[in-house]
Amino acid sequence: MSDRSDLIVTGNTFVFDEERDAEFERLIKRYPTRESMILPALWLVQEQEGWISAEAMAYIADRIGTFAAKVYEAATFYTMYNLTPTGRYHICVCRTLSCWLREKQEIVDYLAKEVGVVPGKVSADGKFSLEEVECLGHCGTAPVVQVNGEFHEEMDVDKMKALLATLE
Amino acid sequence: MEVKILSEKFDIENAHLIEVAKEHGAYSTLDKLFSMEPTEVIDEVKKSGLRGRGGAGFPAGVKWGFLPKGLNKPIYLAVNSDESEPATFKDRYILVRDPHMMIEGIIICCWAIGCHDVYIYIRGEYTTQVKALQKAIDEAYEAGYLGEKVGGKDFRIDVTVHRGAGAYVCGEETALLESIEGKKGQPRSKPPFPAVEGLYGCPTIINNVQTIASLPFIMKNGADAYKAYGTEKSPGTHLFGISGHVAKPGMYELPLGLPLLEVIEKVAGGVWKGRKLKAVIPGGSSTPVLTAEQAKTVTLDYESMAQHGTMFGSGGIVVLDETVDVVKLVENLIHFYHHESCGQCTPCREGLGWMKKITQKLLAGEGTIADINLLRELCDNIEMKTVCVLSAACTMPVRSYLDKFRHEFEAYAIDNISAEVELQRN
Amino acid sequence: MAEMVKLFVNGEEVEVEAGKNLIDAIGAVGIEIPHLCYHPALGADGNCRMCLVGIEDGRPPLVPACKTPAQEGMRVQLDTEKILKIQRDIMELELINHPVDCPICDQAGECKLQDYYMAYDLQESRMRVPQVKKSKNMDFGCGVVHDQERCVLCGRCVRFTRQITKTGELGIVNRTDAARVNIFPGRPLNNRYALNVVDLCPVGAMTSKDFRFSQRVWFLKKDQGVCHGCGKGCNIYIDHNREKYKDDVIYRFRARQNDLVNGYFICDEGRLSYKLENENRLIVTSINGSEAGFEDGVQRIQLELNQAKRPLMLVSPNSSLEQQWAVKRVATLYGAACSGYSDAYVKEGDGDDYLISDDKSANRNGLKILDIDCDKESFEEALQKCDLLVSFDNDLFMFDNNSEFKLLVESKKILAISSHQNLLTQASIVALPVSSYSEYEGTIISEDNVLQRFHAAVHKNEVQNDILEVTRMLGGAVRNAEQAWPGIRTRVSVLADVQPDQIPAEGLQLRESEEAHVSA
Repeated sequence: MSDRSDLIVTGNTFVFDEERDAEFERLIKRYPTRESMILPALWLVQEQEGWISAEAMAYIADRIGTFAAKVYEAATFYTMYNLTPTGRYHICVCRTLSCWLREKQEIVDYLAKEVGVVPGKVSADGKFSLEEVECLGHCGTAPVVQVNGEFHEEMDVDKMKALLATLE
Repeated sequence: MEVKILSEKFDIENAHLIEVAKEHGAYSTLDKLFSMEPTEVIDEVKKSGLRGRGGAGFPAGVKWGFLPKGLNKPIYLAVNSDESEPATFKDRYILVRDPHMMIEGIIICCWAIGCHDVYIYIRGEYTTQVKALQKAIDEAYEAGYLGEKVGGKDFRIDVTVHRGAGAYVCGEETALLESIEGKKGQPRSKPPFPAVEGLYGCPTIINNVQTIASLPFIMKNGADAYKAYGTEKSPGTHLFGISGHVAKPGMYELPLGLPLLEVIEKVAGGVWKGRKLKAVIPGGSSTPVLTAEQAKTVTLDYESMAQHGTMFGSGGIVVLDETVDVVKLVENLIHFYHHESCGQCTPCREGLGWMKKITQKLLAGEGTIADINLLRELCDNIEMKTVCVLSAACTMPVRSYLDKFRHEFEAYAIDNISAEVELQRN
Repeated sequence: MAEMVKLFVNGEEVEVEAGKNLIDAIGAVGIEIPHLCYHPALGADGNCRMCLVGIEDGRPPLVPACKTPAQEGMRVQLDTEKILKIQRDIMELELINHPVDCPICDQAGECKLQDYYMAYDLQESRMRVPQVKKSKNMDFGCGVVHDQERCVLCGRCVRFTRQITKTGELGIVNRTDAARVNIFPGRPLNNRYALNVVDLCPVGAMTSKDFRFSQRVWFLKKDQGVCHGCGKGCNIYIDHNREKYKDDVIYRFRARQNDLVNGYFICDEGRLSYKLENENRLIVTSINGSEAGFEDGVQRIQLELNQAKRPLMLVSPNSSLEQQWAVKRVATLYGAACSGYSDAYVKEGDGDDYLISDDKSANRNGLKILDIDCDKESFEEALQKCDLLVSFDNDLFMFDNNSEFKLLVESKKILAISSHQNLLTQASIVALPVSSYSEYEGTIISEDNVLQRFHAAVHKNEVQNDILEVTRMLGGAVRNAEQAWPGIRTRVSVLADVQPDQIPAEGLQLRESEEAHVSA
């Protein structure tokens, strides 16, 4: 894993919108300790903003009543939390064993060369971001690609092309 | 060869919906369950020989028996749905295609161990699956199978879905508990074991999704019916995931004990593209590799795997054809485990990165025989010196590749004399 | 007496305390089990793996000593080839990504990685691939500087801020070998004990901005002392050095373990109070603003005392019990009133429920036990009546308190016997320098009634006299700290049996009910 500890400070205050606020209050009742809300709350931020800023982490910490450093630890430990803004379409290509055996690299190379989006970066137009991720648990239908959380199985370059064509 | 116990409803349209699931027998075991004493339920599960399907294969009923008696503390059940071991994708089918089978299993387990609060820990990558699971839970609450009075009985069960967020190590049961508590998923030292001191310091049982989902069958048909499948020591069926270089990869429910090669041939359509078999990873990426030769004699059960120096693991079978570059595969493997090391223990935190870089050095044509020897030595130096077995999940298979395919590593070494001779000859 | 068990270490039978973990239990009989993450004040974490030991016939056969309680009959293996190899292997792994920049590292000389490398490793590096790069020279706040590359991720600092100060500023972020200690942006260390992380850090990852690069630690003399920064009496190491052609100077205080008083820690204010021992000292005697000899100064004091009709002697709550006793005796000799009034030393509301007291004096309980009147009204009355005020190192205007008395005091004839320059020395006819607590020996009683003895650590080029020497020259009978004791023992019932050289290392807890008083 590369360093994720350099947080983005936006200078703007963060608050949950009404829907997430209600969801936060609903979920916190499900746990005997408030700190159990650290992961769910980070998910709520990501759902709302697409990524998680330093301000959002501080907000969560204060709202839960815990140390910001603990939220910071969790946010940087769990790699699905985006700590930088993603493209409108965030593409995750599984890089692990079974997908690797079934030529995931061709898809990554295609995206880099033909679409101009390289792992860890957002494309110039802000439309795509690409991440090579570890096993997505779809080894039987490898290689697998996730776009904004939706799974696309048994992929190849042609199917990737067709998929991209459907994205606005 | 395939059987349909756990996967009975997988092919039924809309079986994930409670109405459809009920038409096909879901929640039909509850009357029988509540007529039994919890100890009777535990005994029945013990008798069935059901072994934990998460990878370790520990007998489920025995695990339940470790709960201390008469403690004035809540007992928690954490259902492990973090399946993250590369080549493992079985639980996902249960979550999506027959979630009510698992919820019924949860009720059975809760009754047996006296638990009222359940957390299902689902890996963060299962984005669509978590929605499906939550929907099923909502349905179960609606129908009165969860909540204050489960199935009309004065017995409360609350189920909360807790999402991981991208950390393989959270499949380790104590890391999973840490994660529910809002912390980094760093495994705890044992003892104390979770059955004594688990979630929030309370006695906790952690069972894999498939283990839990196996309970309704046992409850409905009895331990003997379950034991009718599989072998004596490895009874029952398993959801095997077959991936890699086969013609028909996928998830197949099979009784334990079948010959591996026969399964690859008859169930998964054989090695793809008419190629030859090179090796098989039998139970997820962390299990030591079997050569094509070894694969001829092994059967799909805990005992045979052990006899062949490997493990049943999660039942995730990966078939490698003759084109596979073992060194590149090892780099891919170490990359995974290095990426997933929780960073707690020195050997795993520092060592896996070192191993990865040495392998990359070899691949870059800059490595030496000494590097290969170092890589092999590091496997020994790191393994079993840590709190959990994540590093062993890396070193055990890597050692097996180094020992069984050493010539492929040596071919990359710059000081490999025979390679040089070969080069000159050409 | 704790329950003892017999166990075997490398085949040798040893008797150790039952229930303690193996590091502490076996360590108590002088056998080291190497460890980085374990610290007795923070408990076992088990992450460094340096303390793995073999247990013969044990299940499991390999255990972290920090998490394994000593048990009767246990056969602990530390010297088997297997364990020695594990120690070597762990050290190798600790060092592969370490910068090994000892020549420029402030920790060199007191670094566990250095020590353990020499004791358990001693092999050449086999690291032939690029190291992990992290950040250096990070300002964590409170004078703590962090180097992520030197860090071994033992987590002691993180646990300290969570368990001890409960301020939680630090965390270990990321995972795998990208893991590192950091503060959350905009929330640096912000507690009054932060510098303890420098002591706690077993390597050079946490350094003190105040101390770093000022001295090589192997040149420092490390003497034991007791902090005089407040009434807690925390135990410290006084690390000082006389560089060639220079004076003996204190470079830092560090916490010294005392389970009865301060455990393993001290506050930052106390830690940095070493500066007060170096700075703003009263060095030369002055009479009416002109430099004079010490003996001339004492003679002048004697003269003034003999001429005064109603002299008032002011005792310091920071002086040792022996000094307070001697001053009290001298006051009797001259028929002087004697006050220990020192409200100026109290910072109301500044203390906490841990190691910081409101009272910034070290021995107020000495005044109490010697029955020296500290009452404000009786001081005011005595001050008004007196025609001569003689202060024995009592800084009457500390923290700018007591301004109400300022005019009145300045209207009096003042003689100031003082370790430091202050308002009184400025307003005095005679300012007579004396030694400060790092330079003399004595005993003090903490606000929690722990009697502690301390010794002279620093020896200045210009040796200043002890207050006891002043009282002796003024005709008192006490020549040194030891000589004060027969008198103290006779007059103070609670101290009747105390032999100063037999006070236990961690001090003597005086019971509340025994507190007081001088017999008539």
